[in-house]
Amino acid sequence: MAKLMPKRSLENVGLTVTGLCIALVALVVVTLIVMVAQQGLATFLQDGVDFWSFISGGNWIPEDGRFGALPLIVGSFSVTLLSTVFALPVALGSAIFVVEVAPGFGRRVFQPLVELLVGIPSVVYGVLGLSVVNAAMRAIFGEAAGTGAGILSGAIVLAVMILPTVTTLSIDALDAVPNEYREGSYALGCTRWQTVWHVVLKSALPSLMTAVILGMTRAFGETLAVQMVIGGVERSMPTGLLDPAATLTTALTSGLSNATTGSVQYHALWSLGLLLLAMSLVFIAVIHLIGKKGAKKRG
Amino acid sequence: MQGFDISRRSFIGAFGAAAAAGLGLAGCGGQQAATEGGSAAAGSTLSGSISCSGATSFQPLVEAAANEFMDANPDVSISISAGGSGQGLSDIKDGKVQIGRSDVFAETKLDAADVEKLVDNQVAIVGMGPIVNPSVDIDDISTEQLKGIFTGEITDWSEVGGSAGTIQVINRKAGSGTRATFEDAVLAGATVPDTFKPVAEEDSSGTVVDKVSQTEGAISYVAFNYFDDSKFKALSVDGVEPTQENVESGDFNIWSYEHMYTTSDADEVTKAFIEYMLSDDVQANLVPEEGFIPLTDMQVKKDAEGNVTAA
Repeated sequence: MAKLMPKRSLENVGLTVTGLCIALVALVVVTLIVMVAQQGLATFLQDGVDFWSFISGGNWIPEDGRFGALPLIVGSFSVTLLSTVFALPVALGSAIFVVEVAPGFGRRVFQPLVELLVGIPSVVYGVLGLSVVNAAMRAIFGEAAGTGAGILSGAIVLAVMILPTVTTLSIDALDAVPNEYREGSYALGCTRWQTVWHVVLKSALPSLMTAVILGMTRAFGETLAVQMVIGGVERSMPTGLLDPAATLTTALTSGLSNATTGSVQYHALWSLGLLLLAMSLVFIAVIHLIGKKGAKKRG
Repeated sequence: MQGFDISRRSFIGAFGAAAAAGLGLAGCGGQQAATEGGSAAAGSTLSGSISCSGATSFQPLVEAAANEFMDANPDVSISISAGGSGQGLSDIKDGKVQIGRSDVFAETKLDAADVEKLVDNQVAIVGMGPIVNPSVDIDDISTEQLKGIFTGEITDWSEVGGSAGTIQVINRKAGSGTRATFEDAVLAGATVPDTFKPVAEEDSSGTVVDKVSQTEGAISYVAFNYFDDSKFKALSVDGVEPTQENVESGDFNIWSYEHMYTTSDADEVTKAFIEYMLSDDVQANLVPEEGFIPLTDMQVKKDAEGNVTAA
């Protein structure tokens, strides 16, 4: 190269390129929020649906003009929490094994295996759930399970789906605990299990919480797989774990093909989208909060 | 020590999710763009492009007809996309497509002012009937009994003459054309109480077929072209078999039109394609081949309110 670019203009090029990237991302985020808010708020401002009855109403029957999203909110939260309860012990257990017990095997064999699960498209989980989990529910619970579709089936499928996310993040979290902590604990005469329980898990707690919440975020937002196994009954409140239900995301997707633009039904679906957006903001805020707290604790 | 601890992996994960969402959006955009198409001036030989979106129920029929139409008119291109009746009606109302497919009357989903601008082209008839799991030991059911089952008043097969067992009601999603047709004919205006909860509400007839064949005591309803004796049993209603002849004669009442809505100022190509859909060529061959009932032999007709009169 004959001439190098002058240093100053090189700096400027770098600044412009990275700045533009930031601007683009910010623009996308802002546009998205504005669009969803605009359509979603039309339900309340333009169509006169009462916000409170939208949040607390127990019947989602759009064709009768009844927009009570509570069954959907309950559906979303119950599958999310239940799947976390199923997945967390397994994820944590395998993370402890990989980091503390057998790092060689864990890193070389187990971790790639788990990471493989992350890449499987959700429709595959859905199909498996439809043929395996639903059939199992029918076989175990008989008539009470109906078609086998319900909250429990949804939670089981979701638990398998979020397992790899929670596991890999937990492995990272345990791995980040400085070795000096373990050595200190061993020096005091603690056994390996005591070290894991009292030292490693405790000091990794904030990062573990982040892992759980990221898993929950995925469970909350998952649509396709849940839709295939949960039964899709939106009209009234689920009363048991075997009851068919619907989540915010499944109601949104299946409603969209039947709603016409500009109608109340259409706006109400956007309101569900707005609700989902708000929820994911809450999840992210919680993650940030935990991150900050954890950092403070460790000085 | 660390200012902000989100691991590299979680950052990559979050970024990946964002990228995937972006791709999804881009995919939608592309589809939208593909359905948009200007139409060239039509001369003696037809040329131009038609885009058509909407109901999936008779999409195979329209696709088959479109292929033959394009073979006969090489300068015409027809792009067909799915999306459901709601989308088809939205798209034709908003001018995004030339033809919007729907399996319900536009009157049920759009404002009267919007309906006025549309032309209703009924291209075929679809019959639907109640189906049950093979374990259910009845072959006939009355409309009254169906009404009781689908409003939750009748919950056991012994109440309708079968052997005891819970009735597992599988519905289609609210807003589905199949469900609207079935409820219009069966419920006759009765509202379903809030307390009634089916065991599943499915998005597609394909899933309904699977669920009914797998679930003991299940009842649901599908269009005739889904009928499959090896998987489930179709019931006769009030003693009338769900067959094409009975629909044509007006004896079997659960049926609806398949609509292809166009705007009143549709271009030449679009009109020619609709004419082709209604020609004997399509009505006598493709329509029955795809499991639908041609309009030609119908002795009754239905209006948007569901009133049946002699044709």
